[in-house]
Amino acid sequence: MKLLLLPVLLPVVFALAALVTPAAWRRAREALSILAVAINLACAIALFKADAVFQMPWLGFGMEFKLRIYQFSGFILLAAAFFAACVCVYSLSFMREKPAHKQFYSYLLITLGLTSGAVLADNLILMLFFWEGLLLTLFGMIAIGNKSAFKTATKAFIIVGISDLCLMAGIGLTGYLAGTLNISQISLPITKLGGIAFILLMIGAIAKAGAMPFHSWIPDAANDAPLPFMAFLPASLEKLLGIYFLARISLDMFKLNPASSLSMLLMVIGCVTILLAVMMALIQKDYKRLLSYHAISQVGYMILGIGTCVPAGIIGGLFHMINHALYKSCLFLTGGSVEKQAGTTNLEKLGGLGLKMPVTFICFIIAAASISGVPPFNGFFSKELVYDGALERGVIFYLAALVGSFLTAASFLKLGHAAFLGKISSENNNVKESSWPMLAPMVTIAGVCVLFGLYNRLPLETLIQPVLGAEKLGGHVFYGMPSNVMLIVMTIVVLIAALINHVIGVKIGGSGLKAVDHIHYSPVLIGVYDRAEKRMFDPYDIGLKLAVAGSQALWRVDRAIDWVYDGLIVKVAHFSSLRLRQFQSGYYAVYVFWAILASVAAVIFLLKQ
Amino acid sequence: MTNQNLILSAVFIPLCLAFALPFIGKLRQNARNVFALLLALAAFACSTALLPAVLKGDIINVFKALQLGFNFSFIADPLAVFMAIVSSFISAVIILYSFGYISHYKNQNEYYLMVVLFLGAMMGLVFSANLIFLYIFWEITAITSWRLIGFFREKQHVLRADKAFMVTVFGALLMLVGFIRLGQEMGSYDLFVIKDAISIHPVSNVTIALILAGIFSKSATLPFQTWLPDAGVAPSPVTALLHAAVLVKIGVYVFARIFVATIPLTQFWHAAVPMAAGISALVAAGAALVETDLKRIIAYSTISQIGFIFLGLSMGSELGFAGGLLYILMHGLAKAGLFLCAGIVEQNTRTKDITKLGGLITAMPVTAISFLFCAFSVMGIPPFGGFFAKYMVIAATLGGRHFIIAAIFIIGAFLTILYLFRAFNMVFLGQVKTSAPGEKEPVMVFSVALLAVLSLAGGIFIRYPNEIAQLSCAGLPGIFK
Repeated sequence: MKLLLLPVLLPVVFALAALVTPAAWRRAREALSILAVAINLACAIALFKADAVFQMPWLGFGMEFKLRIYQFSGFILLAAAFFAACVCVYSLSFMREKPAHKQFYSYLLITLGLTSGAVLADNLILMLFFWEGLLLTLFGMIAIGNKSAFKTATKAFIIVGISDLCLMAGIGLTGYLAGTLNISQISLPITKLGGIAFILLMIGAIAKAGAMPFHSWIPDAANDAPLPFMAFLPASLEKLLGIYFLARISLDMFKLNPASSLSMLLMVIGCVTILLAVMMALIQKDYKRLLSYHAISQVGYMILGIGTCVPAGIIGGLFHMINHALYKSCLFLTGGSVEKQAGTTNLEKLGGLGLKMPVTFICFIIAAASISGVPPFNGFFSKELVYDGALERGVIFYLAALVGSFLTAASFLKLGHAAFLGKISSENNNVKESSWPMLAPMVTIAGVCVLFGLYNRLPLETLIQPVLGAEKLGGHVFYGMPSNVMLIVMTIVVLIAALINHVIGVKIGGSGLKAVDHIHYSPVLIGVYDRAEKRMFDPYDIGLKLAVAGSQALWRVDRAIDWVYDGLIVKVAHFSSLRLRQFQSGYYAVYVFWAILASVAAVIFLLKQ
Repeated sequence: MTNQNLILSAVFIPLCLAFALPFIGKLRQNARNVFALLLALAAFACSTALLPAVLKGDIINVFKALQLGFNFSFIADPLAVFMAIVSSFISAVIILYSFGYISHYKNQNEYYLMVVLFLGAMMGLVFSANLIFLYIFWEITAITSWRLIGFFREKQHVLRADKAFMVTVFGALLMLVGFIRLGQEMGSYDLFVIKDAISIHPVSNVTIALILAGIFSKSATLPFQTWLPDAGVAPSPVTALLHAAVLVKIGVYVFARIFVATIPLTQFWHAAVPMAAGISALVAAGAALVETDLKRIIAYSTISQIGFIFLGLSMGSELGFAGGLLYILMHGLAKAGLFLCAGIVEQNTRTKDITKLGGLITAMPVTAISFLFCAFSVMGIPPFGGFFAKYMVIAATLGGRHFIIAAIFIIGAFLTILYLFRAFNMVFLGQVKTSAPGEKEPVMVFSVALLAVLSLAGGIFIRYPNEIAQLSCAGLPGIFK
């Protein structure tokens, strides 16, 4: 089925066309981009129910050019197309006066094409080809941000690039163990080598999704990169891709079971990511940076859910993936709306924008309620499923997830209060609502958040449950209200606690922004926070220091070998030539003596023969 | 032309007509430049013309028996043709670049003579099927590279040239001893004969070690590596020619020719060679992260990447061998591009110290983008060509159950990303420290852009080089899985 090539090639071709347009042809470029995402969306919708394979000869050694669409990849393809369309429309207004207009649209479209390719690929090498190719546009899209953006771009490239090398090694190992690289034919047990292969593949997947410890470029990118990038990649596409692949490896390629220690590893990574990232999110004083830490924290729920290896958890993790892509991209888009209209995302300079920008505010409320898990929005249902799965595996995981929810809710109460409520500053008195190209995507996405919450049967029945298949579901259905009443009660208790905490915090601190200061400046945490803010825990910086230290040692090895050539050999040659020179004294008698000695030696040697 | 004549032309057109260049240069400078380029293109055209026959599965042989076993014997199989095409093409691009680069300097006649002579010797070496001829061509490359490294005649440069010469010739003499031992053990210096005799006489480990010493010294592998970064004092096109495209690949090629295509290595060497290559790759990558001279960084990078090529070739599997050959191609294109970019930077800013450079992307956008493209290919980022080569080599290592060696190389690949980005960021991004007038010489910029685009095209159209690389694996005794 050749149509499968379209979502891969079409955006790339349009991107190249956009790249060669003269700088002044802004409208032509916008039209091209809109056309590309529209055709791509139409194509994704048309392919959604398809079940087909496209194959052509490629490289041999099991490296086949094979694209496959089936229920799961069709779902991710559609979601990616949807977010690309939203971000593209949004950028019409947001990117209008920005520099690097041309690069932005080209990179966006190439990203879309490569993502589609990675989703559709049914061969691990082909997938890696598209997957790792995303590094280039990741680098490019961050680098076109502000002046210091290239440092962040490099950081992102190095972190993701190194994890992609792990993925490459994992693919090599998987291919060796399975004897094939075709994803749909791989079915491996978790043995010792298989476990290593799984971990390497997992590193690639969770690093793409932005889990700890591969996260630290995301908050920096929030400061430096153009905002639509944040809504497009870290918020939606990378989550979709990373979690999609994580689900594929743990459900299809490897049969991960609850008894496995790898399941435990995933759950621990999930919980640690949830807690640490949300702790950092809590104290941020910048709209975008705060959101970026949540983009990390929420991945934890997805990994936890999939790591539980029980149906409720897996369904919850996957449902959370799509929900997160929705509400987080919506949140970033509201952030962009604020940035565009108020000129800043620094929460200290914001406040009281709710009345000036009512549509943005309403979208924010819906998305913030979703991420905090307030019923009946979509995030509530997916979190309940993850809780359900986590509780089945151990109370500790459930509690970690619950504490994460508390802190998430607290930080969004703070964010909403600081940005949209409270007193408006004099500079912001003339702020107006954004134009329709920015509002339309926000409203659309917020609408889907409500839909997926109120009518969660739709996404669960058509998108999520088929991923697991009827056999593993065992007749369960996961839509409708959560079955475990205790979980709902606990969630509501936590939400109310967050609200009370907020009210108390505002009383103590005096403003919405300072609502969590009593946590931030509490005795033990203050020291930890201080160090974290100074980047002392950044795995990237630590890793770089280690790499440089190791390289210094290796360099000394190299210098030592060089010394053998430039020092030792020269000295030895010099020394021996000096010694030999002493024999050349110029005295006739001495030479005769040597000649006789040599003759005697020669005679003895010959006689002995 | 018959295929036999094509081989002879590919070798002897550049080798003999190179001596005409100084005379032409006395009359017309431009004519000499164009003629030099034409000689390289002729070698390229002849090698490419051999391709159809070779792809059909023919192996073309030119043989003339001479005294003392010094039989004149050339062979064109997929391996030789692949290598000949790669090296003659990259050499042609480098000569084109030299039009701009070398035009400011004295002794241009000698320069073009040496470069073309070097290429001719390289072609001879690639097609040789007799160990003695192989050695002769090997030493011609050593002599020409000695002159080229010391081209600027400064005292330190000449010392460095001497160092390069002495290290590689020392290795070559060891190799010659190895060849003679091999000839005596097998009764012939002809690779065909040795290939057939190998099942009767196993080769002694001492012989193998001696030959490997020569190969490692030429390909700048630990512990013979330090002449290569030191030789960075040469003019940039020369470093590109020597360090990236051709000279260092000689060792790699002879390894493939002798130890894969003729004498299968024993289990011990299948573990020892990758380990040596791995240590070399790691040490050089570490050094590249510490150095601050742009050309030395790229030179260390070459040492490191050569390790990957040895790894692929020594795995004894088709996947690894094909990956190693693709690596030679992709690394040649990309690394030549990097050196030539460094040449543009150096000529416009008069410095190679990356701590004194910065922000050049605005003054030299094409050079910067080309550098980045080539760097991506060396790092192995798709869709650039280096990606496939790197994957195939690593996958072959894992497939051979060399897990520790694979881990060493993965760390080497990490460091590759780090040092190339460090170099790129410090030279092209950030604050402008040394201002540059611009990119000047369009022919130089065109050459680097061409190499950058080819690095990209090499990945997108990977099928075609891959076909030749896979064909080269067929029927080699050193490949057993």
